[in-house]
Amino acid sequence: MSYIPIPEDRHFRIKRIGYDPGRSRPWLERLVYSLYVFAFWGFVIATYAGVPALFDALGWTAGWGYVVMRATQVVLLFLLSAVIALMLILALRKYLGKVQERYGPMHYGPAGGIQTVFDALKLLGKEDFVPAAADWLTFRLAPAVTFVSSFAIFAVVPFASGWTLADTNVGLIYLIAVSTLSTYGVLLGGVSSGNKWALVGALRAGAQMVSYEIPLALVFLSVAVWGGSLSLGRIVDSQMGLWNVVPLFIPFVLYVISSLAELKHIPFDFPEAESELIAGYNVEYSGMSFAFFFLAEFVELFLLPALIVVFFFGGWHGPLFGLEPGTLAAGALQSLYFTIKTAVWVWIFLWIRATLPRYRDDQLMEFAWKAMIPLALFGLVLAAYMRLIWR
Amino acid sequence: MSTISVDPVPGRSDEMVVNMGPQHPATHGVLRVVIGLEGERITRAVPHIGYLHRNHEKIEEARTYFQVVPYTDRMDYVSGTQNELPVVLAVEDLLGVEVPQRAKQIRTIFFELFRIASHLVWMGTAMLDLGAITPFLYTFWDREIILGIVERTAGARMLPNYYTFGGVRRDVHPEFFKDVADFLDHMQRRMPDYEHLVLENPIVHARTKGVGVLSKERAIARGVTGPVLRASGVAYDVRKAFPYDAYPDVEFEVPTSSDGDTYARFWVRFQEIYQACKIIRQLLEQTPKTGPYKGKVSPRLKISGERYRAVENSRGELGVYVVGDGSDRPYRIKHRGAAFTNLQVIPDLFIGAKFSDAIAILSSLDPVFGEIDR
Amino acid sequence: MSLLSEVWQAVKALGTGMATVHKRVYEDAPTEFYPYVQPDLPAVSVQSLALVENEDGSERCIVCLQCERACPAQVITIERHRNPEGKGFLIDRFDIDLVNCMYCAACVEACPVSSIVTIQDFEMSTYDLHTLKADIDFLHEQSRRSRRWYSPKFGVEIRTDDGKIVKAPPEMQPGGLAELLKPAEEEVDQ
Repeated sequence: MSYIPIPEDRHFRIKRIGYDPGRSRPWLERLVYSLYVFAFWGFVIATYAGVPALFDALGWTAGWGYVVMRATQVVLLFLLSAVIALMLILALRKYLGKVQERYGPMHYGPAGGIQTVFDALKLLGKEDFVPAAADWLTFRLAPAVTFVSSFAIFAVVPFASGWTLADTNVGLIYLIAVSTLSTYGVLLGGVSSGNKWALVGALRAGAQMVSYEIPLALVFLSVAVWGGSLSLGRIVDSQMGLWNVVPLFIPFVLYVISSLAELKHIPFDFPEAESELIAGYNVEYSGMSFAFFFLAEFVELFLLPALIVVFFFGGWHGPLFGLEPGTLAAGALQSLYFTIKTAVWVWIFLWIRATLPRYRDDQLMEFAWKAMIPLALFGLVLAAYMRLIWR
Repeated sequence: MSTISVDPVPGRSDEMVVNMGPQHPATHGVLRVVIGLEGERITRAVPHIGYLHRNHEKIEEARTYFQVVPYTDRMDYVSGTQNELPVVLAVEDLLGVEVPQRAKQIRTIFFELFRIASHLVWMGTAMLDLGAITPFLYTFWDREIILGIVERTAGARMLPNYYTFGGVRRDVHPEFFKDVADFLDHMQRRMPDYEHLVLENPIVHARTKGVGVLSKERAIARGVTGPVLRASGVAYDVRKAFPYDAYPDVEFEVPTSSDGDTYARFWVRFQEIYQACKIIRQLLEQTPKTGPYKGKVSPRLKISGERYRAVENSRGELGVYVVGDGSDRPYRIKHRGAAFTNLQVIPDLFIGAKFSDAIAILSSLDPVFGEIDR
Repeated sequence: MSLLSEVWQAVKALGTGMATVHKRVYEDAPTEFYPYVQPDLPAVSVQSLALVENEDGSERCIVCLQCERACPAQVITIERHRNPEGKGFLIDRFDIDLVNCMYCAACVEACPVSSIVTIQDFEMSTYDLHTLKADIDFLHEQSRRSRRWYSPKFGVEIRTDDGKIVKAPPEMQPGGLAELLKPAEEEVDQ
């Protein structure tokens, strides 16, 4: 009577692995995620104190030895940027999860701690596809341009007193030059994709850059005027007694807004607005090319809050408990202060991402030209005036 | 009327034609709009529908009246039982069935619960379209509570097949009234949160105020109904104009706004959630805990005659025209969908707007493609 | 001054929104851990269909074709022949196409003997759609494995460990209020 035989494995049953959701483990989460911060801190110490100490011990401090030492530091920073990206993606997903009454990643590693490593492996395994309508060379080059320009900001960020790759006296100008380049990557990637959504995204990125770059430069100028230097190290030094956020409050607010715009972060994420342009400029990217855009975005999500801390929140300043500045212990403590301050700002950025909807693209331009530039000019004049009076 | 072609207009090389949809995150399903873009400004907008067409009306002609009801569920799939009511009302009229008052009250409670559920889905997806991710998850969790209440009584969550000719299929769950009261208390706690996140948000103001203004005359000319019409200043509501079920016994207001912009449509939907809560509270007091839930209807009903009945569902006037030829199957069934009619204003509102505005306007129209494509 | 107050209002509203969002961090997530914890479905929940056998293994179904007639999606196919030794009919074929079924439970409402019932086994995902074209053995197997089913006529029934079919205790019954307050009715003889 049987009409169709019933196969034994009719049901695709999920294998029940040993996992007890009833066992709440918030302490484990806290442990894992603070371990990440400490791993980051260790990485910074190894890069800025460990490598020079090692080369000192080897005696390679002049000529080619110096070059090799710097190159080693750059390689370490590259690894660090990958770690930062993995960390921040995890932090974003976990925080978004908490905020949205979910748990976020929780299955791979303790408290979901290595979820993003698997995500990166998945991206590595994907086909890196170039559409037929795309311009091959530009399409390939764009992620590299974006990533390199974001990564190059590392060169001038002071993690502790003297812990900079290049404490040039034109640090701010270098910053403006380099951070503007990342928009070129977005523009090139969008235009070369041969996709209309990507084209619109790229054009929006260009228009956005035109609006936020000018207030950004004016804010840099006020910081330079008040700090008396273009070098980031000396700007931090000058905030010894009083953090810049108090005298330079207007430039500080403008800088946060411009940073959000430069990051293509949520109130201003028009170039990749997923509900409007699907994914905007990176819609045709897949595999590792996409991963590089992603990497660049999250490296910037670390670096721009770090620059906020450098410019306005005293950088690595904090109580040293009698340690001699310039020693390893003092440097480690200072870089810990820097890390914690940056983490707080990253959290604020993630919080903004969790809450706010998106402006329209012309509203940012209008806001930038009608409100931010006059305010930035006012802030600049005010900073100059205050400098004349008090310093 | 309009061309299907996606090619640019001859001689207009500055116009870029993009296909928004049917696979686009903001089209709430499978709407395809061919949009001509001049920079960010929209010069042309031609909606194309039919990607979800399932031939509802023809299928329903081949089914008995009892079999029609579960099919109507599949039209507006986010507002569940609301779709069943027009057919049920029309057939009850033609049969002359006496519906117990308690059954009417239970039907109205479900009707308003699904209005809240539908507006919550709208709120989440509209905010998602505007770029905020978090409200989506909050609203879906609140909607989940409603679906849980419905499942305990009706046996299914989204497509409950609960109304039937003469009343409802089965009596409500013993804890139904308590569940609903608890849910209303929960909503009372949650609504301030939604106000903070949506209505009071300055970015939402910037994106929606003065955007996509639909004038009163244009709205009437296009035949839109529901919150879209009421946001344009016309206080037309089927619940007031042609009361059905238990609506004559409850007091509620019809929120209207004279602005006609996207923000007004947001605001009207918010007020409708408050009004729905108010209606359900009154009904919870009025409805007897026990009693009849179904009138006497022969399982082999035969109908002759024709009848149009409409209800005010979450999107507007949802009507049905039933023609019976004396057999147990309808000779013709015609659905009048609110979302379908509301979609007609797309070219009016899109042309001249920014592309980002188009997304906000579309989400404020709250289309559901199960009903539009039928 | 109005501009300043407007800016202040906007900043305040943004701050309120951000506080609204962040306060949810301290609330418990309502996530259901489905593959690890089975959801607690209400008794009336329609997840799949099953065909119930009597305690002695005979067919409860009397092959009246009511379900086939009631089905809106027309996925039930029944063939029957007259019982040569006695009255009634015997089943030749009883198929339900669970792929096209829309789980409206119209067949369950129509069944006069509560032979076709709803069960709560929703784990029907499969790699081959043909395995969801249920025949009579499949449907019997569904009810045997589920051991608990619902029909509007008899409410929730349970198959006990020794193969008896009993009506579930009142606390397991979904029941409308009216049914709950009615005096308990006798077991219907099969």
